[in-house]
Amino acid sequence: MMQEHTPSEKILERVGSLRWTAGHDFHDELVESLYTDAARIADRAVTRKGERGRFDMDRTIDRLVTSRWLGFPLMLLMLTIVFWLTIEGANYPSAMLATLLVDTIRPLFHSGATAIGLPWWLSGLLIDGIYLAMAWVISVMLPPMAIFFPLFTLLEDFGYLPRVAFNLDGLFRRAGAHGKQALTMAMGFGCNAAAIVSTRVIDSPRERLIAIITNNFALCNGRWPTQILVATIFIGGLAPAHLAGLVSAAAVVSVAVLGIVLTFVVSWALSRTVLKGEASAFSLELPPYRPPQILRTIYTSVIDRTLIVLWRAVVFAIPAGAVIWLASNIQVADLSLAEHFINFTGPFGAVVGLNGVILLAYVIAIPANEIVIPTILMLTVLTARLSGAGDGAGVMFEPDSLEANAEVLRAGGWTLLTALNLMLFSLVHNPCSTTIYTIYRETKSAKWTTVASLLPVVMGFVMCFVVAQVWRLFS
Amino acid sequence: MVSFFISYLVPLLVLALLLWPRSGYLWRWRRLVRLSGRVLLEDGLKHLYDCEYRRRTASVESLAGVLEVPRSRAAEVLIQLEAMRMASSTVEEGVALTAAGREEALRIIRIHRLWERHLAERTGVSRVRWHEEAERQEHHLSAQETETLSEEMGHPAYDPHGDPIPTANGEVPPQSSLPLTALNEWELGRIEHVEDEPVEVYQRLIDAGLHPGVLVQLTRLNEEEVRLVADGRHHSLPPVMAGNLFVYPVDEEMPGPYDSLDDLELDESAQVVRISPACRGLERRRLMDIGLVPGTAVSMEMRSPTGDPKAYQIRGATIALRRHQARHIQIERGLDERAIGVQPTVSVEEQV
Repeated sequence: MMQEHTPSEKILERVGSLRWTAGHDFHDELVESLYTDAARIADRAVTRKGERGRFDMDRTIDRLVTSRWLGFPLMLLMLTIVFWLTIEGANYPSAMLATLLVDTIRPLFHSGATAIGLPWWLSGLLIDGIYLAMAWVISVMLPPMAIFFPLFTLLEDFGYLPRVAFNLDGLFRRAGAHGKQALTMAMGFGCNAAAIVSTRVIDSPRERLIAIITNNFALCNGRWPTQILVATIFIGGLAPAHLAGLVSAAAVVSVAVLGIVLTFVVSWALSRTVLKGEASAFSLELPPYRPPQILRTIYTSVIDRTLIVLWRAVVFAIPAGAVIWLASNIQVADLSLAEHFINFTGPFGAVVGLNGVILLAYVIAIPANEIVIPTILMLTVLTARLSGAGDGAGVMFEPDSLEANAEVLRAGGWTLLTALNLMLFSLVHNPCSTTIYTIYRETKSAKWTTVASLLPVVMGFVMCFVVAQVWRLFS
Repeated sequence: MVSFFISYLVPLLVLALLLWPRSGYLWRWRRLVRLSGRVLLEDGLKHLYDCEYRRRTASVESLAGVLEVPRSRAAEVLIQLEAMRMASSTVEEGVALTAAGREEALRIIRIHRLWERHLAERTGVSRVRWHEEAERQEHHLSAQETETLSEEMGHPAYDPHGDPIPTANGEVPPQSSLPLTALNEWELGRIEHVEDEPVEVYQRLIDAGLHPGVLVQLTRLNEEEVRLVADGRHHSLPPVMAGNLFVYPVDEEMPGPYDSLDDLELDESAQVVRISPACRGLERRRLMDIGLVPGTAVSMEMRSPTGDPKAYQIRGATIALRRHQARHIQIERGLDERAIGVQPTVSVEEQV
């Protein structure tokens, strides 16, 4: 038989011999030549107007906001201004919404329920439980989100946020994380759930997971009211009256900054243990500054971010409202379920410098952190058997004045340590259920969702425990 | 306070004792398990093949050294390999592989090198851990999984250290590179292979930018030091370390020396000459995506408060790059755009 090679065999043979001699990286070389040819063709065909397209104004702003000495202070200033605008601006509409939903509509519902003859437990569950939880979530959450998200989007549109990422990248690089994590962290100050969706800008899976797991350390809007109230009563109260406002504001900002520090520390720890690896390639475009389109921004951020997040929170608040009401009204052996839980967890709470009421409030408030303070107040009144305060078992309320708040809490046995630890625990505890659900949707992994949910709780308890031990050692 | 120490620090200490890398009990236990059975046999085969490829003689001593086991255990491994007709030993030639043994060794090496390539191109696992990870993985991947891996990466021919990856039929090119120290002074060579063990030496070579594909020129060679120029930078290495670099002599002119993008001062501009061969795969393509191809004009625009990253003006856009990446981009200053007639290394037509 004749040994004749078919053409395909010849090709294969040639491929075999070229395999070792074509060079180590001939794929890369081929790709590079394609790019170079493409760039050459583009340069010939495209005429650019004014090679240096950057205006002097842009350059001046850039040099200022990224300068060595002013870069970080300017960032802190911006952050403080945004928070201040959010807190101050939300106060009034929040109060208005609360008046409308709680003080005006709820009695209407009650009289309606009486008129059609609903049994007390059904009207209690529906109106004092479910409806009230929804009303609290809407009135506490909607105004700050409707202010924070548009402000955030305006800064993004203007082009400032990419500069923040540019400034912070040095720190994130040392933590083994992605520079764009700065953007998702900033977003987390508004809402962690929305921020976790926004981690899609990070394309390396390892670094994206780090951003998702640590996002909870960005103090979200839902937790600001807790921080502000507790700081005002217990920490502001330590300072002379004319400084009280400043001191309590500084306390809240310190907690937020502690959150940023924890973001770096935990990112660093993760990238050296379970998410080991080197920082991936990073390139960030810094777009030219442009005047933000205010109306469009407000419209899209209200629709896209605020309403979607609010809707999810309301959905999750409904069962929470029912649980709160039921737990406070179902009695077993002369005590309500809530009181049983509070008495049972009380000793553990004391060890970590908290108390049973706070623990129960955080269990019930998993769906939405906004209802932590109203729940704590209601439960304190319930367990301390205060008369003349509150609206009845299972009915969340917020007293009209700060003094009334303080009185309720002191009657519940609160000290400065309880307040301090509550502020810490409010920063470092499990994400709300909306966020947990979002983490699962984004990672599609039960394992990482569990890690992201449990890691902060464990850290929170350890931190509170250490603070409590040190505190007791020195006092 | 005492009870605090007892109840928290003691359990912590116990945990550390158990889990500490390399010296913890769990780690030692895993090593013990490895010492028994198949893993040891496979590592033994690899060593025999390595000796054959580098034309050295294998012995019980060398095997014991590589496997980190006592000589008696190494001898047992050899006896077992001979019983399996994978190896044979004679008095004159020492231990050698049989055809079947060579085939098996190449199969394991193929998985090892493919896995290293996979780690290098698609994960963030650091360079110094590639070898260690692949050492583990080579005993676990099935034939089917290996072929899928190879196909997904486009059937690569070399691993990231420059070693050839055996084909599925067990073909490898003959060894052609020499240790760097075999070059004459002023002779040019292209790095083909960087020995990845011991890790400390490998780390230093890689840190110095001595990657496969880089052109080096020997400028001085004596017993105390080896001086060389690579990628436009001068290096001085002890001869022992230089022996871990393998090169093949080339008949080219030394390009450069070039500065890197990272050397640019504020507002200074320059032209891209090329992306260093040390930057490969996805990372290289990312840089080209931005428009960093030979001939592109770049200027340094801003420095972040921490000094790294810096932002550059590239094709009308301002783009921030970390120092680690900027170092890969080699530039030439003060050249007119048209004067630099940079030719692409391979043109599309030639390839087809």
